Amino acid sequence: MLNMNHQESENLIELLKRGDQKTLEKIYLENREGFINFSKKYNVDENDAIDIYQDSILILRENAINGKIDHLQSNISTYLFAIGKYKIYHNFRVQSKIEMTNDFNLVEENVDFDVNLYGPVLTKEQELLKKYYDQLGDRCKSILNLFYYQGYNLDEIRAILNYSNKKVLKSQKSRCIKQLKDLVNKHYGKS
Amino acid sequence: MENHDLIDRYFENSLRPKEQKRFNELLQNDLNFKNEFLFQKNLKQVIAANQKEELKSVLSNIEERAKKDSLFASVPKKWLVAASVMIIMGVTTLMLQKTYYPSNEAIYAEYFKADRNTIQPVVRGESLNTIEYRAFVAYEAGAYYKAINLFNSVKNPEATYILYYKGLCYLAVGKSYQAIELLSLVSNEVEVEGPSAELNAKSKWFLALAYLQINENEKAISQLNLTANNPVSTFKKQEAKEILEYLQ
Repeated sequence: MLNMNHQESENLIELLKRGDQKTLEKIYLENREGFINFSKKYNVDENDAIDIYQDSILILRENAINGKIDHLQSNISTYLFAIGKYKIYHNFRVQSKIEMTNDFNLVEENVDFDVNLYGPVLTKEQELLKKYYDQLGDRCKSILNLFYYQGYNLDEIRAILNYSNKKVLKSQKSRCIKQLKDLVNKHYGKS
Repeated sequence: MENHDLIDRYFENSLRPKEQKRFNELLQNDLNFKNEFLFQKNLKQVIAANQKEELKSVLSNIEERAKKDSLFASVPKKWLVAASVMIIMGVTTLMLQKTYYPSNEAIYAEYFKADRNTIQPVVRGESLNTIEYRAFVAYEAGAYYKAINLFNSVKNPEATYILYYKGLCYLAVGKSYQAIELLSLVSNEVEVEGPSAELNAKSKWFLALAYLQINENEKAISQLNLTANNPVSTFKKQEAKEILEYLQ
């Protein structure tokens, strides 16, 4: 398990928010085997355990982004295991609840389980938007991603992406949205 | 403040009460504003869906690699089963009383798993292209012969960590004598702190496994004792104790 102090834990959360792959991989690999072994105690087979584990990582990431764990008191491994245990308990209705319930307080206070793991079912309109979003350049994608998904404000994004000033960034963002709109409109034959 | 700034502020969660009021009014009365807002709201959902898909595929990749790694450990388990079956057959046919314990080969098969590379984390997309980096890439991919060749060509072939990982490569391909030669060098170093000290502790465990492979039980026991009683490391302590129970 990851052994770390509070400071390191906060750094990890920050890196998680940014979607840092190295961090993700580290967290994933360091806890994977432990989680699979833990699941075995409840007769959850390895493939199911891995599915639950991956879902738990997704939930962890979403909660990091939503700021739910900015002030997490336990370390990330404990938190991740708590999510996984909770899911095992709910998915498999495990009989012996005692060992698990200790962690439930932690989870119930700090986790938003209302994370749609399989992606919200997108409307037709959104599917179309998605198709054209994929066609945008990397610059646009990173601005839009930072703003709409990762929840950074424009000042922060200006610093992250090294824009000389906020105004330039704002007009770049507007251009990206316009580009996307034009693509959608073109699809509908409106332009 | 312009109207589109209000929308930005909405997504930044930074609307002040007055602005929120204005925002609500526009949403009700200004169709263009409403459409603009809905477009961006859709966009937000689309990006979230996109990110989740991406993350899932990243996780599947990591998982695939993790499975490959553990395959290394899981294949030999079959040997363990085979070894156990043979032991049981031996017991019944020859009426031997003492062979309930697994063979050295079975112990080795059960316990050997190549150590993770902690020296040179291999990161996708990293543009490093040194021989050392390539060696560790090969090591992580389980291409041990290739890794040995590359380790032979690095700039600092005598460095402790190079000797250590090269030793593990030899161990992984069953060349125990070469493994022992290299791991002994690491094990004999007397560093008390730092990464070399960690490798020093770990090398004793792998040295024990190497000795087991060539049936040098006494030497294996001595290394296992060092591992089990190492005051500065907890690496494989429990496992060393388990094997000692088999052997003694």
